[in-house]
Amino acid sequence: MALLEVRNLKTTFKTEDGIVAAVNGLSFSIDPGSTLGIVGESGSGKSVTSLSIMRLLASNGRIESGEVLFKGEDLLEKSEAEMRKIRGRDIAMIFQDPMTSLNPVLTVGEQIAEATRLHLGLNKREATAKAIDMLRLVRIPAAEKRLNDYPHQFSGGMRQRVMIAMALSCDPAVLIADEPTTALDVTIQAQIIELMNEMQARLGSAIILITHDLGVVAETCRNVLVMYGGNMVEYGTAMQIFDAPKMPYTMGLLESLPRLDQAGSRLVPIEGQPPNLLRMPPGCAFEPRCRYRMPICKEPVSLYDFGGAHLARCFLYDQRTEGERTLPVESAPILPGTAVAPPQEARP
Amino acid sequence: MSDRRDLVVVRDLRKYFPITAGILQRHVADVKAVDGIDFEIRAGETLGLVGESGSGKTTAGRVILRLADATGGSVTFDGRELIGLSRSELRPLRKEMQIIFQDPYASLNPRMTVGSIIREPLEIHDIAHGAQAEARVQELLRLVGLQPQHANRYPHEFSGGQRQRVGVARALAVGPKFIVADEPVSALDVSIQAQVINLLQDLQQQFGLTYLFIAHDLSVVRHISNRVAVMYVGKIVEIADRDRLYDNPLHPYTQALLSAIPIPDPDVERRRKRIILSGDIPSPVNPPSGCRFHTRCPVAFERCRVEVPAFTEYEPGHRAACHWVEEHGGKAPDLSAGPAVLT
Repeated sequence: MALLEVRNLKTTFKTEDGIVAAVNGLSFSIDPGSTLGIVGESGSGKSVTSLSIMRLLASNGRIESGEVLFKGEDLLEKSEAEMRKIRGRDIAMIFQDPMTSLNPVLTVGEQIAEATRLHLGLNKREATAKAIDMLRLVRIPAAEKRLNDYPHQFSGGMRQRVMIAMALSCDPAVLIADEPTTALDVTIQAQIIELMNEMQARLGSAIILITHDLGVVAETCRNVLVMYGGNMVEYGTAMQIFDAPKMPYTMGLLESLPRLDQAGSRLVPIEGQPPNLLRMPPGCAFEPRCRYRMPICKEPVSLYDFGGAHLARCFLYDQRTEGERTLPVESAPILPGTAVAPPQEARP
Repeated sequence: MSDRRDLVVVRDLRKYFPITAGILQRHVADVKAVDGIDFEIRAGETLGLVGESGSGKTTAGRVILRLADATGGSVTFDGRELIGLSRSELRPLRKEMQIIFQDPYASLNPRMTVGSIIREPLEIHDIAHGAQAEARVQELLRLVGLQPQHANRYPHEFSGGQRQRVGVARALAVGPKFIVADEPVSALDVSIQAQVINLLQDLQQQFGLTYLFIAHDLSVVRHISNRVAVMYVGKIVEIADRDRLYDNPLHPYTQALLSAIPIPDPDVERRRKRIILSGDIPSPVNPPSGCRFHTRCPVAFERCRVEVPAFTEYEPGHRAACHWVEEHGGKAPDLSAGPAVLT
């Protein structure tokens, strides 16, 4: 059984301009001890996915439908009191900006101890000892002294280490890391990635790494989920995604990236602009920018199964488009259970 | 490329920001943001200036354009010394030198239409007025890949990539020779970055522009630059032709920086050796003595702590500031082997 399984998640936000479906029908799962990278650009729904799993949406956000099964139990059915016990203990999260997610008026020792006292029932002395252990584990020098420092006394990289120490202090089964290195300089990013890889090997937490950086994904993740316009457009192992991408959006992303190990031939950009979530096309979200688009792409699109758990949401692989497609590819079967009906009337 | 003349020459350029304390605003220390840098930018080329936060790369770009006053040193543009010129003496030169900012959200006035944003420099510099300016705005919008009717819209109606195109159009309006592009694509989504990079390259070809391209993303810099300079805490530690710098970096910091960049290819990633530096980037308020990198350098020795290394040319056009390299006859230290690797 998967450790965490998201089924058909739909999350909407009420905005001044109307209701926006930030995540629209997303399904995926993660096994114990594995690493899943969720990649996507701004507005693709990757952060909203993690906040939905944690039930930490802003007040204008609402989970419309779906299930989030953690060890078989639906987190969306839990009371707020039950969720508070799960957050931090079973599923922990680290954020992009450690300065805004640490409490500036508490010492880092107090903040780490708070989690272990609450979730593990440690007394004050035990919690302090545990906090020192955790700070040592994330290799903060002079941990006993730094325990009494406030977040502003740490550098950006050190603060992110404190966040990781806090997140891992209760030995969570799942760690969700939302852009954990985006605010850091590259030499510091390398330190933090190394630390996360090492922590995972030692503690065995499953990690969901949310990022826009395909390089970071290639370096850390076994499996990769590519999001576009609020839903998954491709899923596979890192090898499948980087070596044999199926979805034109994934192909386009990889082609448009300048690479450190290759000198400058002209970049192939993805034309057009990211989708406006208020005006999503009824069919494939990428259709307006896709160089292989066909008339059928304006209809809702299923997931196609390439074997070995490699999936893509694209009509190029539908048998019906065999004579029509402009990219020479083989058809693939629709993943059972994901076939979508022809377009329905929009709800009022 | 090497036969081209130097358009911009920077010599021993320094910019200190004073730190004051007490009611008398006593001068207690300086943030040495840029602390003696030397380089040249040749006409028609792109010089990439890379570094991490606090390296002084943005300050360097601003001082070169005289958007901030230098503490010392010299910048010549097309043979004219810029440091020390008065505001009125500078004004005609401003047409020749423009800047593109990182944040396309913060660098466009939200209360002006895109058309008036682009028209403003035309009128200030007395280049075009009225219908003539209007036509020039339309031409510029087309040039950067926007529609002429976009002139009547406000910045908030555009996506990040389109706003950055407006910033490029504004910089081009006065017909500059030299553009400082300060992190022009780092606020943009990956799929949009390539559009703006291609636009900058096309415009360079079309108008023979010279770029100083400031960025922290070494992949983007490799793509767009002819030569690359690496900054660390206010100093340039290495400069060379693009391929030479990426293939044969001499300075240990350049090596570590390059090895820290993740490559979007799991095959390559698995085979790569990574040099992980310990410690944080030092503060430019109180930079380390001697070589500023010695606190994090895997091969540092006694001399590095006391003596500032000279910026020495080891191969034509390839300069580096490192005692280890100097004492080993221009050889780069091998950081990927043995106890030198810090993890």
